[in-house]
Amino acid sequence: MTLWALGSGLWELGIESWELTARSSWRDGWRRVIAAPALVASVFALTFLLALPLVITLRGMLAAHLGGSLAAETAASGINYDWWQEFTAQATGLGTTFTPSVIGFATVLDNISGVLDARVRIAPLATALALYLVGWAFLSGGILDRYARQRPIHVHGFFAASGAYGVRFVRLAVIAGLIYWWLFAYVHPWLFDTQFDNLTRGMNTERAAFLVRAIFYVFFGGVLLAVNLVVDYTKVRIVVEDRRSAIGAIAAAVRFIRTHLRQVLALYVLNSLTFLVLIAVWALIAPGVGGDGLSMWAGFVVAQLYIVARLLLKVQFIASQIALFQANLAHASYVSAPAPAWPDSPAAEAIDSSPRSA
Amino acid sequence: MHTLRPFAAAILLCGAIVVAVTARQQPPVEQPSAGGPTSPPPVATDARSPRNASYEIDARLDEAAKTIRGKETIRWRNITDLPTNELQFHLYWNAWRDTESTWLRERRIAGLFTPPQADAWSTMDVTSLRLREASGQTRDLTTDMRFIAPDDGNTKDRTVMSVPLGRSVGPNESIEVEVEWTAKIPRPFARTGWIGDYYFIAQWFPKLGVLESEGWNTHQFHLATEFFSDFGVYDVHLTVPRRFVVGASGRQTTRTDNADGTTTHRYQEDDIHDFAWTASPDFLDLTQRFEHLTLPAVDIRLLLLPEHRGQADRYFTTIAATLKRYGEWFGAYPYGHITVVDPAFQSDSDGMEYPTLVTGRARWFAPHTTQLPESTTAHEVGHQWWYAMVATNEFEHAWMDEGFNTYATARVMAEAMNSNRVESRYFGGFIPWSFRDIPVTRIDNDRLAAFRFNAEADAQWTPTFQYWPATAGIISYNKTALWMHTFEQRVGWPVMQRIMGTYFERWKFKHPRPSDFFDIVREVTGHWHYWFFDEVYRSSNTFDYGVQEFLSERVDEKTFRTSVVVRRYGEATFPVDVVTTFENGEQTRETWNGQERRALYVYEKPVRGTTAQVDPDHVLLLDVAYTNNSRTLKPSSGKASLKWSLKWMVWLEDLMLTYGFFV
Repeated sequence: MTLWALGSGLWELGIESWELTARSSWRDGWRRVIAAPALVASVFALTFLLALPLVITLRGMLAAHLGGSLAAETAASGINYDWWQEFTAQATGLGTTFTPSVIGFATVLDNISGVLDARVRIAPLATALALYLVGWAFLSGGILDRYARQRPIHVHGFFAASGAYGVRFVRLAVIAGLIYWWLFAYVHPWLFDTQFDNLTRGMNTERAAFLVRAIFYVFFGGVLLAVNLVVDYTKVRIVVEDRRSAIGAIAAAVRFIRTHLRQVLALYVLNSLTFLVLIAVWALIAPGVGGDGLSMWAGFVVAQLYIVARLLLKVQFIASQIALFQANLAHASYVSAPAPAWPDSPAAEAIDSSPRSA
Repeated sequence: MHTLRPFAAAILLCGAIVVAVTARQQPPVEQPSAGGPTSPPPVATDARSPRNASYEIDARLDEAAKTIRGKETIRWRNITDLPTNELQFHLYWNAWRDTESTWLRERRIAGLFTPPQADAWSTMDVTSLRLREASGQTRDLTTDMRFIAPDDGNTKDRTVMSVPLGRSVGPNESIEVEVEWTAKIPRPFARTGWIGDYYFIAQWFPKLGVLESEGWNTHQFHLATEFFSDFGVYDVHLTVPRRFVVGASGRQTTRTDNADGTTTHRYQEDDIHDFAWTASPDFLDLTQRFEHLTLPAVDIRLLLLPEHRGQADRYFTTIAATLKRYGEWFGAYPYGHITVVDPAFQSDSDGMEYPTLVTGRARWFAPHTTQLPESTTAHEVGHQWWYAMVATNEFEHAWMDEGFNTYATARVMAEAMNSNRVESRYFGGFIPWSFRDIPVTRIDNDRLAAFRFNAEADAQWTPTFQYWPATAGIISYNKTALWMHTFEQRVGWPVMQRIMGTYFERWKFKHPRPSDFFDIVREVTGHWHYWFFDEVYRSSNTFDYGVQEFLSERVDEKTFRTSVVVRRYGEATFPVDVVTTFENGEQTRETWNGQERRALYVYEKPVRGTTAQVDPDHVLLLDVAYTNNSRTLKPSSGKASLKWSLKWMVWLEDLMLTYGFFV
């Protein structure tokens, strides 16, 4: 079912104005994203460049282990799983993350399940992840500002906005971080270790145990989404309304979500469905092992397009939430408003309405 | 008459009461039958084994209390040349009686300990033990029972019980003992126990050790070991609630519904050395028949759980493939039937073997390219050869059944199940992903990957119960499979098959020791192969050969000097070939005995050398680092590392984006 058909289905069920707003916000979000391609290019560059040093490090490990071995030939032209296992047996640090999960769609499964199963990441990865999150937190001000204004703000404007909102976002990040930390440090083990073990200890069918785990995933994922939603709209309110207080913005975000719950959720569902469609497409086309030379680069380009698509969805998520907010609570005093479109002057009107020559 | 009638009636009544009470309190004294206990029991002319430890068992499952109450009559014959004046019994379930058992102590030491919950514990208490004398009288030995700890002196361990007989039992003399016991069934431990209404009951009855010429061989229950017992005839009555589907070692001969809502299942089998059973109301009872031109037919019974319904064909195909290949390679499976149990989730009963009854292993979500249920099922069915028939001492030489069988299973898998792919599991291990580009090879099923980590853990000749518990499996399973496969590559499969087939035929229904196998190797190949077994069996050295240097330099206008230095990095030695390839495609092959630390080969030719390889055919599968076995002057490591680091980059970017959810 396409998103559009789903939207139409909801429409026919009589879910009208709020669904319409969500759908138009979703479309508006895309419009804003497409209008600012440099922004996507920038976040892609951030992702790529942060990954690059680690990639170079890992490449050095792989090359050092292969040395002048003939094993490299089969590893280059296809796969040499014997070598791979040998490499893993001696690997430390980053090398330990070089598992078959790096191939094709397994990447997505590994990473999502890594988050939901609260898998601890090794120090080099944790550092890179922390830098990436800090980078995003810093740039978020500029990104939101750009999408809210709907007009070019240029590099200096972008970084001015990033800087202006950066401190507020750091305060927000501390609060959100504490909540996430509590969720992963306490709620997750309580749920997935203690309660899961208690509930499934007597189960002798795997599907029943999986059902319990799936319910826990939905519950825990739901909590994460709820926190995420509040954080998202808090950022929107901080930027669009130039709020100084992170705590005040959180309260305002909660208020907005509560009073526009159906629109907010409908938009979240639309965005999530878009993400699932992308993941499904990726599951179908994700390159496998491949060879070297052209096929390697072709596979890499396809994979980078997938990464770009993921980033597009991420910024579209932001842009559509801004669109939704602005569609509901727009007034002149907003800081990050679109460029004013002045009404025509009376003189212009007179000129425009004068009889035209034949 | 009138006066006598009440008197006679009273006497008769009293007599009847006395008889009834006596009958209840003491078993009737039976007259010794022809060929009574002290004479050798009549071993059937078609007996395949000595049948010197036979059991008649009558057991009842109390589902509510999770207990088994049982009574057994053991007919035991001393088949050694020495007399004995005691019996020794295994009481395996006492391994989970408390944390002081040797089994749980070893688990703690190995770092694998998680404290069992309150309802997990089990017990096995012998309530009565009587020796039936030649006269037919029984002598109560219950008070003479005592626990012993022959392996580690752990006085808290109650897994071995000694009972002085008060007299000597001479060679070829038989005795009969009656044992009553009660046992609390554990939550699953070491492949036995209950979960929900699924029961897998193994090592569940007081069981004799093995008397050898050196004395009783009755080891305590260890974390890393399995079992050892003599062959006999088993006749077992199991009474369980009627709703249960029951499977057991042997063939079911009767089934009797009782008035109390229970059913008594009778299973019998000859020439087996253990008996296990399972019960669940959920089993789907499926059957197929294995038929073969030259091998005896086998009725296959598959007790399948509904959540694995879709995997029935995979089970049957694997069982048939294993029966066929093991039968053709090693010798016929003679029992005519086999029961394969699809074990319940979390039952810890998966992947285990008992005579004529094995457990497989299946996952609810199992794409057709995954290894399960095939690999485990093939392995366990294969144990009918290497364990059930060739009954080695698993306490001391686990490699002789587990290792031999891992080697043979890998062969079956390579021949019959070659569509299997490497898989990873995600989301708590529930969701599999099969990598279509990575086939599971025979070497993977030899378990080379895990061996690398623990190649030096123990020398194989060390008695298994003394292996480091956490790595015992690596030495028993992986190392053996790898050296057997290596040996096969050296002597060729036809010779290897003759070795294994001869060994099987010679030692089935007996208890061979390592020397018996080595004797067969010598008999078939004409050599002792000391050099090989010294390395793989008597030492814990690792194998690692490599190309240390490879140079090809111009000497003059017409000549290049190509130098190859091959090196033995590990302590273990093995003869290896060294192949050097030149630009014109020419190859030189040298055979290096592998004894010295290094060897130098120099060639002067009109063309440059391109590659050098030590052990190019990968004969030595125990080599823990094969990547260093080759060297080329035009390495592809740049291309390979670029390709794989780019793959990894996508994974890393995706990881960053996944965590990007939080900002």
